[in-house]
Amino acid sequence: MELTVNGEPIQVTNVATVGDLLDHFRVQHQAVAVIANGDIVGRDIFSQFSIQDGDTIEIIRFVGGG
Amino acid sequence: MSDPSTELPLITDKERVRRLLALPGVRPDRLDRLRSARVAIVGIGGLGNASAQYLAAQGVGHLTLIDGDRVDASNLGRQVLFGPADIGSFKVTAASKALLRLAPNCEVNALPVYLAEHNGASLIGSHDLILDGLDSALPRQWINQWALTNGVPVIFAGAVGYEAQVLGVYGKPPCLSCLWPSLDGADVDCVTNGILGPLVGMIGSLQAAQAINHLIGLADRPGTLWTFDLFQGRSRVVSVPPNPSCPVCGPTGKEISL
Repeated sequence: MELTVNGEPIQVTNVATVGDLLDHFRVQHQAVAVIANGDIVGRDIFSQFSIQDGDTIEIIRFVGGG
Repeated sequence: MSDPSTELPLITDKERVRRLLALPGVRPDRLDRLRSARVAIVGIGGLGNASAQYLAAQGVGHLTLIDGDRVDASNLGRQVLFGPADIGSFKVTAASKALLRLAPNCEVNALPVYLAEHNGASLIGSHDLILDGLDSALPRQWINQWALTNGVPVIFAGAVGYEAQVLGVYGKPPCLSCLWPSLDGADVDCVTNGILGPLVGMIGSLQAAQAINHLIGLADRPGTLWTFDLFQGRSRVVSVPPNPSCPVCGPTGKEISL
């Protein structure tokens, strides 16, 4: 499956949901935001939200500190 | 002996904004808004140091600085308003002195306290704009909620390690909580994660630029998130949509307690 993640085209296998994609990148689900094809995906449905070939995904980790 | 400060040439507000006048989209009649603006800067660390000096230099008339921290030697690599003689002083006091050297006509209110729910509204009320450069997530969430309730714009920013981000929230969705409804466990700090000194200058300056754009009536950029990763050499601008399930600005929005 080909996706655009954070502006870059990538090929992934064994990824069916947003939760799988975060695990693929070893990104903790806590304090991370996901925008799929322009819509925010609620953290509570990361593991149910299906990803399709051609989707555009933004993964945004909160950056604190001042 | 005369006071040297009385011998300084008076720099008028007009001179501070002179180079803004040639910019596309800038209307001269709106530049007076800088002089009359009241801006609160919450957190006078690296971000607050950078944003405050550009706002003062550009002619913002009133700055309220809010931070209960004192200057530590480890701050000096990136908090450029402070020098060795300031170590041990309240950051807001030392910053105030430096800002008044830069811009003697700026009214600076230095508040050496930490913002929390019990004092937040009294600290940041009566301001036209808030700049958030805090190093902890919970007060940031409270500011987001308060600012949306009161229709006050906030320019949020964070920086740690090599990474940073900036998001302006302009009194309506989308807001900070649209992206991150909960920031439990999100706090990482510069003590354990390090921080590249010039990164906070760059990001605080971007906050100041967004603030000045807003104050002089240039188009706001709601839902625009700037992200930077200076380790990877990447920067991105992400369009953030309103989140219908946002706990703050969504239809079931609620108050956040600290």
